[in-house]
Amino acid sequence: MSVLLRARHLEQRFGRIVALDDVSLSLRRHEILAIVGESGSGKSTLLNVLAGFQQPDSGDVLYDSGDGPQPLATLGALTLRKLQRARWGFVHQDPRRALRLDITAGGNIGERLMAAGQRNYGQIRETAARWLEDVEIDPARIDDLPKTFSGGMLQRLQIAATLVTEPELVFMDEPTGGLDVSVQARILDLIRGLVKRLGLAVILVTHDIGVARLLADRLIVMRHGRIVETGLTDQVLDDPHHEYTQLLVSSVLPA
Amino acid sequence: MQGYNFAYLDEQTKRMIRRAILKAVAIPGHQIPFASREMPLPYGWGTGGIQVTAAILGEDDTLKVIDQGADDTTNAVSIRRFFARTAGVATTTRTADASIIQTRHRIPETPLTDSQIIVYQVPMPEPLYKLEPSKQAAKRRHALAEYGDMHVKLYEDIVRFGRVAVAYDHPVMVNQRYLMSPSPIPAYDNPKLHKMAALQLFGAGREKRIYALPPYTEVKSLDFENHPFHPVRADQKCALCGAQNSYLDEIVTDNSGGRMFACSDTDFCATNSGRAA
Repeated sequence: MSVLLRARHLEQRFGRIVALDDVSLSLRRHEILAIVGESGSGKSTLLNVLAGFQQPDSGDVLYDSGDGPQPLATLGALTLRKLQRARWGFVHQDPRRALRLDITAGGNIGERLMAAGQRNYGQIRETAARWLEDVEIDPARIDDLPKTFSGGMLQRLQIAATLVTEPELVFMDEPTGGLDVSVQARILDLIRGLVKRLGLAVILVTHDIGVARLLADRLIVMRHGRIVETGLTDQVLDDPHHEYTQLLVSSVLPA
Repeated sequence: MQGYNFAYLDEQTKRMIRRAILKAVAIPGHQIPFASREMPLPYGWGTGGIQVTAAILGEDDTLKVIDQGADDTTNAVSIRRFFARTAGVATTTRTADASIIQTRHRIPETPLTDSQIIVYQVPMPEPLYKLEPSKQAAKRRHALAEYGDMHVKLYEDIVRFGRVAVAYDHPVMVNQRYLMSPSPIPAYDNPKLHKMAALQLFGAGREKRIYALPPYTEVKSLDFENHPFHPVRADQKCALCGAQNSYLDEIVTDNSGGRMFACSDTDFCATNSGRAA
């Protein structure tokens, strides 16, 4: 499998705080990579840098859009924006941040399509209805405002609105954070199904070991801005080497 | 008039405005910032349009000023008299006789020619302002030609009302590049912007922006393939001249619900019915 995204020696400081300290990683096509670590370990900063929302102090991120790896910094704002709007997706922890609550569910799903140049009202609606069904929301609610949706439905709506352009790479920042356990399970199930069906590559940030175990092929453990351990998910979780990983794994409450 | 420079503004200011106009003509639909001056009328009454007119006015020009299509409304009368007194130029109410037409909210029904200039008064030059409150972010979107949200707004209209419910200030794409506010002209007037023979200048005084459409520029009103742009017009004929192809005002005539429809363009109406305006 070819490498889709590669980061080399990323460094990022916020004043005295080191958020990223010599972070390197690579992601292959169709692979799910989880980044775990405690709050403040630099997970979200890493995600923002990888997704091109933030420039690192040093180091670079290379993306292979089909004709060889290219540093994001040399793509130019226009190309980067196009990537972010169509071939990449970003699922936020709080769907209210990503969705527009004052426009209908259909409008939210259609937004990325229209940004990509889709100008046929009928087709936009058809696609939106199909996606609502895919994320297990009644298509009859296509013209309802998201503010009438529950938290779990909002998160599913955000996933539909992100995946509608069939991206090849999706960044997820705690997609199940803040949801109750039964709703979490449904969303994880949904994500797992969609990822497999669409052949997505995913970089998933989470502090929930269970989520990582369920979804990820590979795992990166971060602490204080450094990668302390990396490997296959079950290998890392069943046989943790670094003491911090051991602590992390042992602090999961038994079910 | 003594004590005033020709057309009120000093030459330095006019030169500054002309430079902004030249830039605006060079990049159709792109908003150019300019150092808008205090004018002897309040913001919202045409301070942008009046500055643009002052900057391009010459001694041989003939000026026509309309407000909502009419030559005889307060705003139109005041601005016309302002230039008659400060520049001593000839004024007219006849569209065909004017070399410069300053307008608020309408485009004359009579097609303009390549020897005319039309100046629009613009309250809000930024077509994205309802979707994007940050000016910096809006500028970025123009730079990246990122206008998807504008269609989201139209999509929502169709969902809620079954059609695009923008009656005025319907946004347009200029030269397939810049999204532009046509100023609050009725959507009915939008097709007249497309490939107009006259030079079109837009001035926003409070927002300090000038933009322009050079003659024969491609201007397309935003729409969907299967919901094409449809300019709305009251389904009536003018009660005064009988015109069926002009934009109509609905005028309430008494307290018992009586109303009539008449051309909003007073010069067009008068010419049509053979009256003097």
